[in-house]
Amino acid sequence: MPVKPSKVRRNRFVLIVIVIVCIALITLYVRESDSGPIHKIQNFFVDAVSPIASLLGKIFKPIKDGFVNLWHLPTLSREKMELEKEVADLRRQSLERKELEEEVTDLKNLLNWSQQSEYETVGANIVGQSPDNWQRLMIIDRGSSSGVKKYMSVVTEEGLVGRVISVGSNSSIVQLLTDSRSAIGGRCVESRETGILEGCNSETVRFVPMNEEAVIKVGDTIETSGLGGTCPAGIAVGKVVKVKPRPRGLPRLIEVKPFVKISRLDRVLVIIVPEPESVILKEAQ
Amino acid sequence: MSRKRQVFLIITVSFAFFLQFSVMPHFKLLGCQPDLLLVVAIVVAVQEDPITGAIVGFCGGFLQDLISHQVLGVSALTKALAVFISGMLKELFMTYSMFLPAILVLLGSILEVCFHEVTLLMLGQGKVPPLRFAAFVLPTSLYNVLAAFVIYPLMRVFSFPVREERLIVRRTDSTG
Repeated sequence: MPVKPSKVRRNRFVLIVIVIVCIALITLYVRESDSGPIHKIQNFFVDAVSPIASLLGKIFKPIKDGFVNLWHLPTLSREKMELEKEVADLRRQSLERKELEEEVTDLKNLLNWSQQSEYETVGANIVGQSPDNWQRLMIIDRGSSSGVKKYMSVVTEEGLVGRVISVGSNSSIVQLLTDSRSAIGGRCVESRETGILEGCNSETVRFVPMNEEAVIKVGDTIETSGLGGTCPAGIAVGKVVKVKPRPRGLPRLIEVKPFVKISRLDRVLVIIVPEPESVILKEAQ
Repeated sequence: MSRKRQVFLIITVSFAFFLQFSVMPHFKLLGCQPDLLLVVAIVVAVQEDPITGAIVGFCGGFLQDLISHQVLGVSALTKALAVFISGMLKELFMTYSMFLPAILVLLGSILEVCFHEVTLLMLGQGKVPPLRFAAFVLPTSLYNVLAAFVIYPLMRVFSFPVREERLIVRRTDSTG
């Protein structure tokens, strides 16, 4: 259908008006400063339409997210694998950090104790434990090269752990005070009564006082007496948790729970000065 | 053009404007986003006449200039010119298929980007290197074509023909 000449003229006129208006706007905009009225209108317009745009953005968010996911679909599985690997790494790092923190805490405690105590000690890591239920032993990574000798006492800041019973050049075997073959001289702090601490392959040790009439109560503290000649005197051992009289003249059953939590040990100290001076050792020499 | 159609066009341009700056930036492909305001204007030029399309393009471009903090009037000018030329090119094609607006949108988009860059260069604000510009024109134009395949049918549903146009259509149907 041919277009009427009047309409063509009108169209031309409208187009010219549009072009003139645009050129005028451009000229005014370029010539005015940043604080001019057109700039102000622009700023006002942005402020006015922002809330509506934000609302629309929220409405279309599911579609937007869907599109973005669709576009990134090929890379998603790769990213997922990378992220999983990263998570695994971070988890491992977190565990390592926790272990390091615990190690630092342990070492600090041990250092404090060794600085406060009158004994000369050498620190050792526990590298193994007894593999069966018949004995309570542990292996430490210090031996004769570090000055460790047989029957030296092994302690932590909490108290006595046991004694060294076998020494290699770079490792030693420690007999825990809970081992059934262990017997260490002990003393009740409250009553000053001495006796022998015997292990019984359980979580507690048995205290056998020299004087059967000695006053020993639940809650009393037991320490080493130093009378055996192997352990120095005054090292805390544990608390009395049970005092059970037995019939027919049998000695009382006195159970002592060690202060040291043996199952949680990682590091210990070996008391190298003073050296053990037991009769057995002297005889051996 | 009927009053209904005018209202519809105002609503469409406003809606396209809000979508353009709030949603479309997230729909980028190869770093380009569709220009809904341009597509709407070209579709109007196809459905109505070139000058109506140019007015719609001018309004859309003006809104775009206001929000994008660039020189006011540049987008309005380039969109109006590109849409008007696209509308005029409509007369060259003897088809009214779905591909007509697609082709016009493709041509119009290329023209608009070129006009825009030239205008900015003349104002001393053209910063896009030539190679980047060449790599930018075609994806944008093709993306606009894709958008046209959605927008054109939607706008056709709301064309609101006036009574005389409806009568002509009916007579054509009965005689043909």
